[in-house]
Parts: sequence; C-alpha cells; structure tokens
Amino acid sequence: MASVKLTKVKKMYDNKVIAVHDFDLEIKDKEFVVLVGPSGCGKSTTLRMIAGLEEISDGTIEIDGEVVNDLQPKDRHIAMVFQNYALYPHMTVYDNIAFSLRLQKVNEDVVYQKVTNAAEILGITEYLMRKPRALSGGQRQRVAIGRAMVRDSKVFLMDEPLSNLDAKLRNQMRAEIILLRQKLDTTFVYVTHDQTEAMTLGDRIVIMKDGFIMQVGTPTDVFEMPENLFVAEFIGAPKMNIIKTELTKLNGQYFVHPFGAKIPVDGDKGKMLADKNVPEGKILLGVRPEHIVLAQPGEKSIPCTLEVNEMMGSELHLHVYTEDQTRLIVRVPTIDLDNKSRSELVAGQKLNISFEGKVMHFFDPESEKNLLL
Amino acid sequence: MKRYSDLEYLRLSKGKKFLYKLASFFLGIPGAIGRFFLRIGRAIKNAVFAVGREFKDIGTTFVKGNIHTKISYVIMGWGSVFKGQWLRGLMFFLFEAVFIFYMIFTGSYWLSKLPTLGELGPTETYDPIYDQYVTTYNDNSFKILLYGVLTIFFIIAFIYTWRVNIRQNKIADEIIRSGKKLKSSKDDLRSLVDNQFHKTLLALPMTGILVFTVMPIVFMILVAFTNYDGTHNGYSNNLFTWMGLDNFNTMLSWDSGSGGAVQSYAATFGEILTWTLIWAFFATFTNYFLGMFVAMMINKKGIRLKKAWRTILVMTIAIPQFISLLYVSKMFAKNGLINEMLRGLGWISQALPFWEDPVWARVTVIIINIWIGIPYLMLITTGILMNIPQDLYESSRIDGANAWQQYRKITLPYVLFITGPYLLTSFTGNMNNFNVIYLLTGGGPTNSAASSASGSVGYTDLLITWLFKITMGEEAQYYLASVVGILVFVVVAFISLVVYNLLPSIKNEEDFQ
Amino acid sequence: MSNNQSSQKRHMGQKAVNRISNTFIYILLVIISVVWLIPFVFILLQSFRVESTYQVGYVLPQQWGFDNYLRLWESNFKTWYLNTFIIAVVASLLQTVIVLCMSYTLSRFRFKMRKALMRFMLILGMFPGMLTMIILYRVLSDLGLTQANAVPGLILVYIASSGMGYYVSKGFFDTIPKSLDEAARVDGATRFQVLRKIILPLAKPIVIYTILTAFMAPWGDYVFAQYVSFGTSSGMNVAVGMYGWLTQDQINNWYTTFCAGGVIVALPVTILFLCLQKYYVEGVTGGAVKG
Repeated sequence: MASVKLTKVKKMYDNKVIAVHDFDLEIKDKEFVVLVGPSGCGKSTTLRMIAGLEEISDGTIEIDGEVVNDLQPKDRHIAMVFQNYALYPHMTVYDNIAFSLRLQKVNEDVVYQKVTNAAEILGITEYLMRKPRALSGGQRQRVAIGRAMVRDSKVFLMDEPLSNLDAKLRNQMRAEIILLRQKLDTTFVYVTHDQTEAMTLGDRIVIMKDGFIMQVGTPTDVFEMPENLFVAEFIGAPKMNIIKTELTKLNGQYFVHPFGAKIPVDGDKGKMLADKNVPEGKILLGVRPEHIVLAQPGEKSIPCTLEVNEMMGSELHLHVYTEDQTRLIVRVPTIDLDNKSRSELVAGQKLNISFEGKVMHFFDPESEKNLLL
Repeated sequence: MKRYSDLEYLRLSKGKKFLYKLASFFLGIPGAIGRFFLRIGRAIKNAVFAVGREFKDIGTTFVKGNIHTKISYVIMGWGSVFKGQWLRGLMFFLFEAVFIFYMIFTGSYWLSKLPTLGELGPTETYDPIYDQYVTTYNDNSFKILLYGVLTIFFIIAFIYTWRVNIRQNKIADEIIRSGKKLKSSKDDLRSLVDNQFHKTLLALPMTGILVFTVMPIVFMILVAFTNYDGTHNGYSNNLFTWMGLDNFNTMLSWDSGSGGAVQSYAATFGEILTWTLIWAFFATFTNYFLGMFVAMMINKKGIRLKKAWRTILVMTIAIPQFISLLYVSKMFAKNGLINEMLRGLGWISQALPFWEDPVWARVTVIIINIWIGIPYLMLITTGILMNIPQDLYESSRIDGANAWQQYRKITLPYVLFITGPYLLTSFTGNMNNFNVIYLLTGGGPTNSAASSASGSVGYTDLLITWLFKITMGEEAQYYLASVVGILVFVVVAFISLVVYNLLPSIKNEEDFQ
Repeated sequence: MSNNQSSQKRHMGQKAVNRISNTFIYILLVIISVVWLIPFVFILLQSFRVESTYQVGYVLPQQWGFDNYLRLWESNFKTWYLNTFIIAVVASLLQTVIVLCMSYTLSRFRFKMRKALMRFMLILGMFPGMLTMIILYRVLSDLGLTQANAVPGLILVYIASSGMGYYVSKGFFDTIPKSLDEAARVDGATRFQVLRKIILPLAKPIVIYTILTAFMAPWGDYVFAQYVSFGTSSGMNVAVGMYGWLTQDQINNWYTTFCAGGVIVALPVTILFLCLQKYYVEGVTGGAVKG
C-alpha cells in the first residue's frame, strides 16, 4: 500500500527512439489507475519502468516516497501480472505461487497458509499440484494473479492481463479483478489497450499516445469532457462521429451547420461556449453515435442514406452517409423502434437524423483541443 | 537504368522482370560497397570525436573534482577509497601496482626489443675444461614477439582501467553532490550476482577467448611480416626478424622461381583457392538439397517408421569422423575394398583411380561428403519442414497447386529463408573443412607443378589443408602459413560481407515471421 | 450419378498415385539406409577377421575371432583410449559451463558492448582456427604441456575458445520467454537466482546437447591432437594413434586392428548418442538454424 509518483519520467531507447516523454503522474495510495492507449503508445514501457524492468532515461519514480530509480525489481516491493502470465513451466501451481515467498526464506508453514489462502480466493485449490501447461487460459490467469497476491506488495502492476482471454472469459475476469481489488485494498496500476476495461476498472484513466499523456481523469471526465480529439475518438464504442463544420453566433445564440442543417447549441454547452466567448469559425464537431436520433425532415435534421444496418441485440448500429458522402454511425436502441420502422431500416433507405446541443463536443481544427476547456 | 514503380514492374514480362532484378542487383553492388566505406568513414569520424570527448571529459573531471579525485589521476583508486568504496579502490590500486611492477621489471625489456625481435642469436663458446663448444642462447625472438604483444595488450588494458577509474570518480562526485548515497563495497559484491551478473558470467569465457584466440591471432598476423620458420625459430637456431611486406609479395607474385619450371606462388594460390570455392559450393549445396529431399521423403504423409529412418541416419553422426572417413578413404583406395570387389566380380581389370586421378579424386571427395553431410542437413530441414504452417499447403491445394509447385512456391522459399544465414556459415565452414579433405585424401593426388610452393600441394588441397602442410616438417614456413591464413580471412570476410549486404532474404528478416 | 462416379474415379486415382509414390520412397529410403550403414557394418565384420590383417576384396571373414581386439589390448591403444576419455569428459564439462555462461549472457542481458562483442566474435571466427595452433603449440611446449603431457594441454586448447561456440544455445535461450525472467525478478530473485531456479531447469535439452557435442568433438578430433601430441605415442588420442595404423607402410599390418579399434571407439558414443538423440535433435533443429 503506497503512493507512486512519476516525475518527468522519460524513456529513450539506444536508437534514440523516445518511447515515453516527460511523464508526470501521481498515483494516490489505494488508487486504481489504468494506463490506456493504442499499441506503441508507451503504456507498457511506463509500467515496466515502475517495475524496474526497463531503465529510466530521465526523471524519477518514487514508490511510497522513496526514489526507486536505481533499485532492482526485487527491491521495489511490487507485484506484477504479465500479459502472457509468465508462469514457470517446470513448477507446479503451488510452487509457482510460493516462489516469491521462498525467495524471501519465509517459513514453509506460512508459505502453505498464504498459498492455500490465495488459491481459495481465486478458486484454484484443486489445481495446486498441476503444472501450468495442464491449465486453461483462465486458470493460468488466476495463478498469475495468485502469484502476485501472496507478496505483500506496495503496488500491484498488471500488464494487459486479460488480452489473451476470449471475450466471455474476459468479462468474467474483469468482474473478478474488481472483487480482488476490494479484497486486496492496495494500489493498482493497470495497463490495457481496451477502453472498456479502462472505463470499468479505473478510478482514474491515463490516456496515452506516442509517449505523451493525452488526458488524465476519472472515467466520467474523459467520456464527457475529452480534452482533445484523440481522447474523444478513443473512448467510447462505436467511436465518436467527427464532422467538419462551422460555428456561428446569432443574437447570443450559437449554431452549428452540419451538412447544411442548422442546429442550435442549447443547454449547458451553449452557455459554456458563451462563457468562454468562443469565436465563430471552422470547428470539428463531435457527436457520439448514441446521441444521434432519427428525426423528421426539417431545418434541424440531416438527410442521409442508410448503408449498413448492424443488429447488435439491444441496439442497432446504423452506418449512414450524408449527401456529401461523409459516413456517420448512429446507435439506436431497439426498444425505441416498432416493428414497422425496424423493417424499413434496410440499405438504401433515406433517413433524417438529428442531435441536440447538449451532446455536442467542439474541437479546434488546428490544435484538435476541446474548445470548452 | 530506368527505375520502375511497383505497378509498372508488375506489367513487365517474366524475362524482363528477371533482367530487371538482375540489373538492379548488380547495379546495387557499387552502392553497397560505397555505403560500406561510408559506414567505415563514419565510424572513424565517430571514433575521433569520441576520443576528443574523452579527453575533454578527463580534463573537466580534473578541474571540477576534489582533491581525492585529482590524486586518483596518479594513484588509481585513491578517490574511491576515500569516498567509501574501498573494494573498488583497492582493485584499482592493485592493478596499477601490478602494472607498474610489470613494466619496470619485464615489460619495458620486451617492448624495447620488439622493433628488432632480438639481435643476438645463439652463440657458441669454447669450453676448455670439457673441451667442447657450448651453445649459449641469447635473445628469443618468439618470446620477444609474444611478450611484446602481451605488453601492448596490458598497456591498453591499463589505459582503459585508468579511464574507468577517472569516470568512477566523476560519477561518485556527482552522486555525492546530489546528496545521494554511494554504493558500498557490499553493494558492489552483491551486484555481481544481480544487475552486474553478466560481467561475472562473461569473465571466464572472455578471458579464454582473449588469451587463446585474440592474442594468437594478433601474434600470427604479425608473424606474416617476419621470417619465422623452421630454420629461424627465434631461439635455438636463428632469430627471426621483421620482413615488411616481403611475404605477401612472395605469395602474390606471378614470378616463379627456377626459370619457370615450377609454378609461382600466386598461381598455386589461385588454383587452390579456385578448388576451395568449387568444393565449398558443391559441398554446401549438394548436401543442402539432397538433405532437404531426404527430409521431405521421411516427412511425407503416409510414410511409416519415420523415427526409424531418422535414427538410422542420425546414428551415423555419432560415429567419429576420423573412423568413418579414414575407413571410407581406404575403401576407395587402389587396393581397397571396392576395387578388389569389382575386380573379383570381373567388372574391371584395372583399379579405378579414385584417389590417383585429379578429377576422380575431386568428384569422389564431394560424393563422400554427401554421405557425411546428409544426416545433419536432414535433421535441420526436418525441424523447419515441421514448422511450416500446414494451412499454407492446404490453401495452395485449394488454389490448385501440384506437389512440385508446392515445393517451388512454399517449401523451398520457406526453408531457404530460414536457412539463409546457415547456408552462409556452412559455405565458409566448408571452405575450412579440414577433416573431410585431410582424412580422405590428405590433399592428394600430388600436383607436381605446384611443388615449389612450400609443402607438397595436391589437387584436393584446400587453403586450410595447405596451410597445415606448410606448418609441418623441418622447414615449416610459419610466415607463409600466416599469409595464407590472412588471405583465407579476407576471402571469407569478403564473401560474408557481400552475402549479408545483398541477399534480400537477410534484409527482409520479418517476411515469414 | 455420373458426376459422383467421376469424382470417385479421381479419388481412386489419387490414392493409386499416392501408393506408387510411397512405394518409390520406401525403396529409396531402404537404399539410403543401406548405403549409410554399410561402411559401419563392414568395419564391424572386418574387425572379427582372423585370417589376414590387410585389405581384402571380400567382407565376411573366413575365420572369425577376437584376435584383433586382443591385439588392441596389447598395443598402445589403451593409453590413447584413456587419454581420449579423460580429455573428452573434462573438456566437455568445462566447455559446457563456458558456453552456457556466454550464451545465457548474450541472450538475456542487454549491456553496452553486447552487439559489438558478437560482431567481434563473428569476425574472429573468420580466421582459420588452425593458425592459432602454431603459437599455442609453442606456448604449450614452453609450459611443458605437449607430447607426453598432451592431455592437459589438449584440454586447455579445447576449452580455451569455446565461448565462441555460443550460437546454438543462445538460439535456444532466446526461445525461453523473457517474461519468465522478469516475473522472477519481480518475485524477488537476483539474476543469479533467475538463472539457477528458472532458466537452467528449462534449459535441460540444450545443456545435454552442449555436453554431448562438447564430448564428441574431442572424442574424434584429429588435427589439434596431432599438433599437441607431436609424434609422442603416450600423448596421443585415439584419432592420432589410429591414423598411424593406416599409413602406407603400416596398413597391411594394422588394417583389421583399426577396424576393431574403430568399433571400440564408436560404440560408446553411438549408444550415448542414441539415448540422448531427442536432445540432440532438439538442439540442432532449435538452435543451429537461427545462428
């Protein structure tokens, strides 16, 4: 149980490629922080630097107030779960979990206590005498977690622990990690490329791209107020529609003009624009698919043609294109549609869509920054 | 030459595609050579700059350092001891002490003799008491050269250690200035099994390589510039001395001695080199393709007893080559088993000249080498064949490929791709394949035209067996052997460089992965 | 219906083609096996020949017996055999340690000089190793480790540069996932403990492979042994000793004895080899190709 503080941490490889740029982050005690981003964004490198598996080119990392830059992994009091589990193939599950304790020369009785206790929690007691290769993916995952659990570590590091599991098992293990976290009550740093995992697990999310932090915030923050276009597009599935359009102001009221329509920016967003006194001009308008609704023709709606209708069960994903061939995605809850209108949603069907001011996101086309921040 | 874009290239006819590739390959050679020299140039430039930086760093460390650091410039390890790292300091100091002691008492002697390799050979003095001549051995050229080289190594090591000692002080100063704690001697010791474990692990192997490979190679390169041979062994008969480039002139001149009755060294060298290359080519590729063929036969679906067939072949690897090769060599001898049997059957009246006729001998050697090499290649290719994803074959069958097309388009490219580097090492290995040639033919049949070159030269002699022969006997011409060795290195290095830089399969490393 | 028939016919056709090609392959494999084994069968048979000691034009002895083996016992063969055995055992153990140190380091550690070191060794390997023998012989003879004392000298020669033969086992170590090391280090192991508790148990095949090849090389080596023993019988190994039996003036006396010696030399390694075949194959196919 400890805080982790990264100050201006930088990672440069021998070939002068910079994997992580001046990374600043303070992780509070018992906090669950998720590093998320596309592959190659430096999230794993950052985690491995915390673990001591990668050298730090510049900056400092502190765990519990102590600078650990020069400490070996074994001296950092951390536990780590690896993407491919990294179970020792020649040891039984019991020996795998007991490995770290035995290195500390812990009394065998205590080892037995701790290992069986962890196995109990994870539900792998019956596999204790098996070798890893005789286990399924999910069971291996549990062993890997068990191995990390028995160490009384200050920080619990997880490097894409769920990405080798199939979709169903992943959902199940995600829930178990939440439970585990409640039981362990320690500091977690979790790396994933999956925004759903990040949103569901993290107290705070760190979104990274090309070695830079794009945004740090709670799941609600990053979803509702993305700091920039990248975060806006990265968080949420299907991803946010981005429309090149103009922002105009008439009598104190802001309007956007997507594809010839004229939609007023009402509600909070309009007020925020006014408070910031955002000038008129070209903007990038972001609207999440679930915030677009089917509408009647009119000044506030956009005519478009249905291209593909994906039935997802509880909702439909409508891929439509507008008159200038821009493609948009609309998410419509199935329950909102009666049978007749559902049967009309076939490729080639002409539709009208619209959205309200409160769901809009505004980005500067040059800097791609959120205009409201 | 016109450069085609990808799409243009695709529209070319098959023949033109081939010509285009061929042309780009050869047109690429000057560029590759140019790049190579550019790289060397850049490396030299970097090295010069690095040395400059070092000197600057040494200077600034001295200016900035405290008194302990400054003393460390003369007394190594002083700073470390006074900064609390007594173990490091002690090691530095001991090294310096040993070095100075060595240089004063022996090193300087060897170094001073190195330019001449000794002046006074063995002398005979009359001993009136026993009424006989007594030989006094004076200078020893061999030892002078050997210890001279060692001393130079030692000096380099000392300079390096001195530099490390200074850098240590600089780092320690910096750490102290930033208010952190220095690593204690205990930490140093512990790190040898942890984050510095590689140094511990490498210590023994690298010492071995340094003493038993690097040092001898440096020594032998130097020997090529002397007249060290059986009659100038540098001690008991005559001293040897520096000869400049004379030996290279001898080896590479087309001027033959004795009025053109015998071949010049260059001609002999050229002949042996040609045969060495021919041999390496055939030895490598016959084994390679036949081994792959055997592996594919055993691996074919539906063939039973796979393990048994493999075991039979693998077993032959276990039998020491000197037994199998010597035995087979005698089998093919004039009065050997094969000739005797054939004669017994009445098929031949005269013995087949397996080892007597140059062409017969060369062909026989290559064929017997197939017998030696196939099991090994079979094993290697079996491993690769089993790794080829089966779906490649399944998809190609659906596309309508027959067995031969599958081999040409899937198996061969895949195996070639993975074994590319192996093929190269195997080629250079065969160039130096001493065992097969020496144990089978001993280099024979003798090439009488080439007899001027030291050691008897035969038609199946490789450069390496020739080198061996030169060093044997009373008049062992070590200096010539060294020249041959250096030339072998040049040839091998040249081939490796060309292949590594031009082979596409080595460049596009990720293609099949 | 007709469609069905033709497809059946094609099916049959494929089967028949397969059977023919398989038969052909079996015939080839039998021929190959015979060609590969026949010299060794001949050696074995001729080692029991009593009636003459020179090369003859037939294979089956007319008179069977152990005379040749008895002659072996009376000759210097015992000394050579013992020499070879000591050299091979000691050299293989030491060489294995050195090779494993080297290859593990180059596979697992990323230190500053690593690439340069590997390139340097690649270049060193391009010099004919025989060249170094000239000086090593002089040095060894100064140390008194040649001729009659060739055994320790040879051991030194064999193990000295063995660090350069790291390719195969490095290739194997490279296949052990790095995350195992990392997990163990996070679990609190030092680098040394990682090697001892994680890597070595997993590297059993390559350890056995290294021991085996390191044993076989000196067991059958001729050229270095010839150099170091330099004509002194008591310092020879079997290869050098038995080579002398097949020279022009000796062969008629010693040919069948050579065969008997060959059997005695080859038998233990062959048995050892067949027992450990699995590991050898793994080593060759796993590591040799990667280089």
